[in-house]
Amino acid sequence: MEVINAQDLSKTFRVKRKEKGMRGSFQAIFHPQTQMIRAVDQVSFSVEEGEMLAFIGPNGAGKSTTIKMLTGILYPDGGKVEVLGLDPTRKRKQLAYQIGTVFGQKEQLWVHLTPYDNFRFFGAVYDLTDSETERRIGELSEIFDLADFINTPVRNLSLGQRIRCEIVASLIHRPRVLFLDEPTIGLDPVVKESIRSLIRQMNREFNTTIFLTSHDVGDIEKLCRRIIIVNSGQIVLDDSMEHLKKHYMGRETLEDIIMEIYQSEGKVAMDS
Amino acid sequence: MSTGVKNQLRVCALSVKYNIMREMLNKVTFLTNTCFMMLNNAAFIIQWLILFRLKGDIGGYTMREVMLLWGIACCSFGLSHLLFAGVFSLPELIIGGRLDPFLVQPKSVLLGVMTSSTRISAMGDLAYGVLVMCVFCFSVKRFLLFLLFTVTGAAIITAFALLMGSLCFWFVRGDVFGNYMVNAMVSFFTYPDGIFNGTARFLLYLVIPVGMAVWMPVHVMMEFDAGALFSVVGFAAGLSAVATAAFYRGLRRYASGNLMEARV
Amino acid sequence: MRKYIVIYRSVLMENLQYAASVAMGFVSYFIIIYIFLKLWNSMYAEPGSLIAGYGREQMIWYVMITEMIWFGARSGAVTRQATADIRGGNIAYQMNKPYHYALYILARYTGEWSVRLPMYFVLAVAMGLVMVGPLSGFGPFAALAAVVSILLGITINGVFKLCISLFSFWIEDTNPFQWLYDKLILVIGTIFPLEIFPRAMQPFLKLTPIYTVCYGPAKLTVDFTPEKFLEILGAQLLYLAVGLGAMFLVYGKGVKKLYVNGG
Repeated sequence: MEVINAQDLSKTFRVKRKEKGMRGSFQAIFHPQTQMIRAVDQVSFSVEEGEMLAFIGPNGAGKSTTIKMLTGILYPDGGKVEVLGLDPTRKRKQLAYQIGTVFGQKEQLWVHLTPYDNFRFFGAVYDLTDSETERRIGELSEIFDLADFINTPVRNLSLGQRIRCEIVASLIHRPRVLFLDEPTIGLDPVVKESIRSLIRQMNREFNTTIFLTSHDVGDIEKLCRRIIIVNSGQIVLDDSMEHLKKHYMGRETLEDIIMEIYQSEGKVAMDS
Repeated sequence: MSTGVKNQLRVCALSVKYNIMREMLNKVTFLTNTCFMMLNNAAFIIQWLILFRLKGDIGGYTMREVMLLWGIACCSFGLSHLLFAGVFSLPELIIGGRLDPFLVQPKSVLLGVMTSSTRISAMGDLAYGVLVMCVFCFSVKRFLLFLLFTVTGAAIITAFALLMGSLCFWFVRGDVFGNYMVNAMVSFFTYPDGIFNGTARFLLYLVIPVGMAVWMPVHVMMEFDAGALFSVVGFAAGLSAVATAAFYRGLRRYASGNLMEARV
Repeated sequence: MRKYIVIYRSVLMENLQYAASVAMGFVSYFIIIYIFLKLWNSMYAEPGSLIAGYGREQMIWYVMITEMIWFGARSGAVTRQATADIRGGNIAYQMNKPYHYALYILARYTGEWSVRLPMYFVLAVAMGLVMVGPLSGFGPFAALAAVVSILLGITINGVFKLCISLFSFWIEDTNPFQWLYDKLILVIGTIFPLEIFPRAMQPFLKLTPIYTVCYGPAKLTVDFTPEKFLEILGAQLLYLAVGLGAMFLVYGKGVKKLYVNGG
């Protein structure tokens, strides 16, 4: 079953521009010059239930803008998008019950409370009854090994434990799709590995569809079977990891392959 | 009550409870803050004792009315900052693009933002307001009116701050202007309305809503007037509705907006 | 060239921020003076009447001068910075420099108010002339006396606030004491002249910093007499001497304590 379907999705931003020098400053006051930037330009793709997809690209390529449009935070100004059969623009709340989001550096937990209290709060946000929440916390804590620190205030946890809790908190309502925006940013290799295994486990246990953006090649390589690369708002590659590696045989690492694709202009032609 | 509303209220209540728990984490800081806020408010009694020694009636108020005014002002301000302090930082949230986390939750964005923080000294204001009311002019009827006007006052303060904060959806420097307006409102709160006349009085009733938040309630508590009471309640409801509409109008702009600077 | 543009831009941003906070202060000052103008208008029912010997114009100018001193003397140096230096241990480095730490802080304080005070002065005079009208009986002697006493008053204020901050050598948090001092000045000192208080209280109030920090300068502005000037000048000089003495004493003891116990 298709869980995400985007057709010609587009978003244009208007950016203020200023000519250099004094004259430019005055001009900016009286005749502000703006420039249109197509952050996302006619992007089309679809994702099947249970897939683990890496959505990558250099800074400013349009990754975050795309995630924001898929979750209903931003309205697209062109194209069509459906997530779980719903239009995020018009059914944002309804959709919110079925998706989860983790935005890398942004913390959503109350740090003075324990993970347990935090989970209780998110249970309430997603309309679970107390007994449902309890049951779910028990289940999650067992699967993801949280028992040791579930009653320790979040501010006393290590960074790794904290991120684990951030991710688990977004699972309380059994989302069918999870959007992860740079989940491993700024973590040490050991913690990164444990977060990756958590994500893998979650996909295996609950068949959760994972939509992941990351700059970390390790994340992509170890987690995802499919990769979409965007550059300047357009999809330049959409293929399975396996196929990608076969096509670029002879390159040392995935990082080299990605670098090469980033630097090449336009769409990457690959024979199938 | 529908389950949707009940669930929403449950989330708000939890949010407020957790905020307050955070502020009370350091008991000493919390108590000192509360006590100092009460002392701070009490210090102004001296000012009024001196003024009333000079003249028995200032702008139609005696000491009792001024104390009632302080009671209403402190309680409304305290209640608003205890429950809905998030509204006062709305400009920073909009400008910093930090509304996103509220948008991915299946609950009201507005209530989520409003209940996202609390002000530590709000308890002191609330306690002082109730204390002043009880000491200076207690009667059961007046106390019930006092509770009602605390709620309408808090609604007016919150709604005005929301309306001013929502300006940021449209104007980049809207936060500066909005802050001026909210601070101006608070400055006028503790002075009798009788000293202002003409245009100033008109502005303070209609543009900066000091009149309906505190002055009219004091008049009703001293001399009951059903018409005035309903006009206060109506004004609070009306202003709240307008502010809510403005917020959601702005939010649509935030989501469909194409100005990049606020969003990256 | 690029780097100079970057430097220029960051300084410009800093100054714009500064301009915004100055504007914020101006608006607050304006609103407070406006409220007191209205308040005193309603207190003076009949034109020409006197309250505690002050006419309406004098009373409002009095408040404008005291509030000008209050707004102009706001300072981070004598409060936040001094406390942070002492509590954070930064003072150990400052002590080895070839200057006296307390005087260094006072110099910074002077730098702060010599920018702010003139701005509030312009605002106060403009508001006064437009909203109240010129003061009758204000001449060159009154102006000279006012300037001298305002400068002395604002310096005394800094010395006292720094003395309070210096107690950080012994106690964790001096904020409550700063707060008490501020409240004394703000609630009792800036709003009314001392003559308004009950006669029995006046001798006590004359002993507080209110007399030298706000009352003196404002009184000389609105109601100058040579005798009053000498009296207030004497009190200010005495206060300054006592304040500075206390400051050096407290600082010396604090530093000694630091050497004994380590930083």
